[in-house]
Amino acid sequence: MSDERVAELSDVTRTYGGVAVLEDVSVDVRPGVTAVIGPNGSGKSTLLGVLSGAVEPTDGQSRYVGPDTSRPIGYLPQRVPFREEFTARETLAFYVRLVAADAADPEDVADPEEALDRVGLADAADRRVGALSGGMRRLLGIAQATVGEPPLVVLDEPASGLDPGTRERAFRTATDASGSGTAVVVSSHDLELVDEHADRVVVLDRGRVVAAGPLERLCSEHGVDDVSGLYRAVVAGDATGEDDGNGGDGGDGEEPTAVHVTGVSER
Amino acid sequence: MRGGIGGRTAVATVFRRELATVLRTPGYGVLAVGLLALLGGIVAVGGGADTGFVPAVVDLLLVTEVVVPLVAFVIGYRALLTDAETGELAVIRTYPVSVGGYVVGVVLARGLAFLAIVVVPYALLGVAVWATAAPDTTIFATHSGIDSPLLYLRFLGLLVPFGAAYLSLATAVSAVASSRRGAVAVGVLVLAVAVLGGDLAILRSLATGTAPSTIPGLLAFTPNGAFRGLVFQGVIGVAFTPEGGFVDVGRALGSLLVWTVGGVAVSSATLAYGDRLEALLEGVRARVDE
Repeated sequence: MSDERVAELSDVTRTYGGVAVLEDVSVDVRPGVTAVIGPNGSGKSTLLGVLSGAVEPTDGQSRYVGPDTSRPIGYLPQRVPFREEFTARETLAFYVRLVAADAADPEDVADPEEALDRVGLADAADRRVGALSGGMRRLLGIAQATVGEPPLVVLDEPASGLDPGTRERAFRTATDASGSGTAVVVSSHDLELVDEHADRVVVLDRGRVVAAGPLERLCSEHGVDDVSGLYRAVVAGDATGEDDGNGGDGGDGEEPTAVHVTGVSER
Repeated sequence: MRGGIGGRTAVATVFRRELATVLRTPGYGVLAVGLLALLGGIVAVGGGADTGFVPAVVDLLLVTEVVVPLVAFVIGYRALLTDAETGELAVIRTYPVSVGGYVVGVVLARGLAFLAIVVVPYALLGVAVWATAAPDTTIFATHSGIDSPLLYLRFLGLLVPFGAAYLSLATAVSAVASSRRGAVAVGVLVLAVAVLGGDLAILRSLATGTAPSTIPGLLAFTPNGAFRGLVFQGVIGVAFTPEGGFVDVGRALGSLLVWTVGGVAVSSATLAYGDRLEALLEGVRARVDE
């Protein structure tokens, strides 16, 4: 696996209504699976938005520095956004055509059938997006994010709100895309899945990066066995230390504090 | 997304998707039928289709100046807002299609929808006039005083740039608005100003001493004034006042073109730079708060 950077965030700050959602975030993205974890409202979606180009930083910059290609970045927002009146096949066909229109060899771009097959939705190709289950929509979203084989794939909570089986399938499908030197950046609250699939971890708390790097190294540095331990060490520990008496974390160390910004943060 | 208009294939891809969306919206069919009923009713009240093409145009002109902008706004006010609201625009931005190409693809598809919803009912009405009017209306006009299908065809032709100007404005509203409710509010405001504001401004300028001889030039600046002037110049006036002079034709056509291109330009600029501007203002606000 190449260790060349694919993208970098430098001193990125993003505020909404004067409230900082991300503050001075600097992260390098390399091939493999990078999981972004943190409490609700810690800025995960904003970070992924900045990385994908969907969110403009207030300060600092986000740069794609990977190989030159017709579609450098694939993106799936937290809420799968496709038009409900189209079928799964039509939805992917639209995106495949956009990439093929710009590709040096359009034949190289996977057709909608291949893309649907890859995520296990071949049988649902003719179903309208509005009639797909939440899990199927997310799989369709993952298929979309990988159309044109972008070197950087950004997936915002691809497994959230799904049953355990579908969650595992969605996450595995998402991380499978990292096979050929692709960098997959994925946010998640499911620490078990992160533990199982992630090569690197970025831990956010209150808009700041509190830990980032290869998972094994971070676990070793903090003397923990897994991502859950790391999370408790760097987030919940911080929260306890900084409790300002406004309710805080409830004292059990399992539910970290969170900054919620209405209309910005996911809950 | 990239700058400029970009590849034709990408524009065609966006166009096809938008057109498919329009075709799957049953409300637009109802709108076309309703418009046909309204126009038919107006012509019937004005003496019926058998009175001829020019009388039909005279009957329809006033209502056309209101209905065409209204329908153009109904077709266009959510054109760019839908993808922005659902978040799909953020996804499309990761694909090799330029902002201009995306806007042009959407506007062209909505423009085709406009032709089907507006121009087809007007054309059907023309067919009704042709089928029922007195014999001399079948003569193609070569000189003044003769009613003719050609005059009605001119009227149909003028509906296109008039509707395109308003459709483009509606698209700009859909790009600027951040919600459906906001788009309706801004749309109503823009419609009121564009439909009535121009005429009121001209009346006011006359009251304050502007020479009446400048009216043909001033009239051309607003979409409604330009359209009305062109209809008088090229359709109604041909039959009654051959010397014309209702409007500066070149300026009127140029004005409709500028409104159309301007709307597309505002839409493209908003999509291309809106987020950047918003982030810039946020940055300024953050520094002021410090």
